[in-house]
Amino acid sequence: MRAQFVLQEIWIGLRRNLTMTISLVITVAIAMALFGTGLLLHNQANSSKNYWYDKIEVSIFLCAKTSSNPSCAGKEAQQSEKDALKSKLQALPQVSKVEYESKNDAYSRFKDRFSTTPGFVQSVREGDIPDSFRVRLKDPKQYKAVSQSVLGQPGVDQVVNEQEILKKFFRILGGLQSAALIIAAIQVVAAVLLVGNTVRLSAFNRRRETGIMRLVGASNTYIQLPFILEGAIAGLIGGVLAAVLLVFSKMLLVDRLASNIQMASKLGWGSVSLVIIVAICFGVLLCAVASFLTLRRYLRI
Amino acid sequence: MVRPLGPRGSFARMVLNRRDAAVIHFDNVTKGYKNQNRPALQHVNVAIEKGEFLFLVGPSGSGKSTFLRLILKEERPSQGHVHVAGKDLSKLSNWKVPHLRRRIGCVFQDFRLLPNKNVFENVAFALEVIGKPRRFINKVVPEVIDLVGLEGKAHRMPDELSGGEQQRVAIARAFVNRPMILLADEPTGNIDPATSIGIMKVLDRINRTGTTVVMATHDAAIVDAFRKRVVELEDGRVVRDQSRGVYGQAY
Repeated sequence: MRAQFVLQEIWIGLRRNLTMTISLVITVAIAMALFGTGLLLHNQANSSKNYWYDKIEVSIFLCAKTSSNPSCAGKEAQQSEKDALKSKLQALPQVSKVEYESKNDAYSRFKDRFSTTPGFVQSVREGDIPDSFRVRLKDPKQYKAVSQSVLGQPGVDQVVNEQEILKKFFRILGGLQSAALIIAAIQVVAAVLLVGNTVRLSAFNRRRETGIMRLVGASNTYIQLPFILEGAIAGLIGGVLAAVLLVFSKMLLVDRLASNIQMASKLGWGSVSLVIIVAICFGVLLCAVASFLTLRRYLRI
Repeated sequence: MVRPLGPRGSFARMVLNRRDAAVIHFDNVTKGYKNQNRPALQHVNVAIEKGEFLFLVGPSGSGKSTFLRLILKEERPSQGHVHVAGKDLSKLSNWKVPHLRRRIGCVFQDFRLLPNKNVFENVAFALEVIGKPRRFINKVVPEVIDLVGLEGKAHRMPDELSGGEQQRVAIARAFVNRPMILLADEPTGNIDPATSIGIMKVLDRINRTGTTVVMATHDAAIVDAFRKRVVELEDGRVVRDQSRGVYGQAY
């Protein structure tokens, strides 16, 4: 196998249908970038899930004067009710920790957390957030048992499971993830068809050469290798472009978002580079296999 | 396992020996194409010895090209067997076909040169694509270019050459790997009679090196002048097989 000859053939092939090659590279780049985004979202969702599930609490809000719950009857929860509730909670086997948070504590925590958005702080007054028990569960999935045993007890207004709120967040994240993967899959199909077309054009352009090669007894690998490598190189360039896109989106989008919003876990360069490697390999493999399959139909012995 | 030798054993061995001696052997070959009622070849039996020069004659559509394509395993027979160099082509696996073709050179009516390569590069291409080293190519290609009578024209482009010269390049390319067999499909079809004689001299020179030459042609003058073996096909059948024959009275 003479490398120089093969490289020369690849160069001729790529140059002869430059427009096709460019469109192929772009398609592969977009497909791989979306594929990588999907993978990154998946990683992100998983790691923030773990992070949040450790911190999940069930909040039991107690009756306040403004409560709309009829069983509160517009009265504050009594100290005796609070004590009874606390001991009942502590007795439950699913509960690992119970904390009492008064109105004042809740208000100052709220002020603290939203200190960067003054509009939020101004619209809330002390007493808007009622007294509550924050209950940490041994297993966040056991939420139902706890809420059932507490709901309807005197002095209880409502029980809020943070998991429910997070679920919505994760559903959105999951939706984004599958959207990215679906678009990536469509792009992959487009890329495969485009590789097929490009290689077919390339083979047609060089039918004289390949005809003579067959005639003088060049082996199939020798005839097909330039075409397959042509596809693979286009795939590689596309993959590298996808990597650049991913790096940019990490720097400009994710990191900037993370500095504004308090993200559960940061997307590290480690996972980004892993995804990049996977995306490039996948791009190259995809194109090589697609051109091989096209050639099998096109360059018969 | 040993096959029992029946009364036909000695006969089979005789056929086998004949097949070994023949470099090309058509054993009752029939070839039909799809969507065509009449087969291109019917029950063809021809044995071509090593070093022979054979003219394949007959009108268009008589099966000459099919005959040549069967030798290259570009087609496979519908019935019967084609043996090349003692090997049954139907038993030759696909990945070995390139090795068969390395031992067979081919020349066509339309030359089939690469227009963007000069004479040297066109001839060298045949060696490059079978992975021969550069040094070998640089040594062998000029020799063959001289052999076909193109001294000093190694760096011309094909469109700067006459038809006869282009065919010489094609012959050089076919012969550069020193094939056992040279197939020529109407090599003088696009060339005037005077130039054709030059081409025939080159083919004769190649034949004298021991290469078997099979040439399909319409050119009565050449066949008559050369007095080599002639196989005539008509409607896919061998109607004449003559050593030292002529093109035929009918034409």
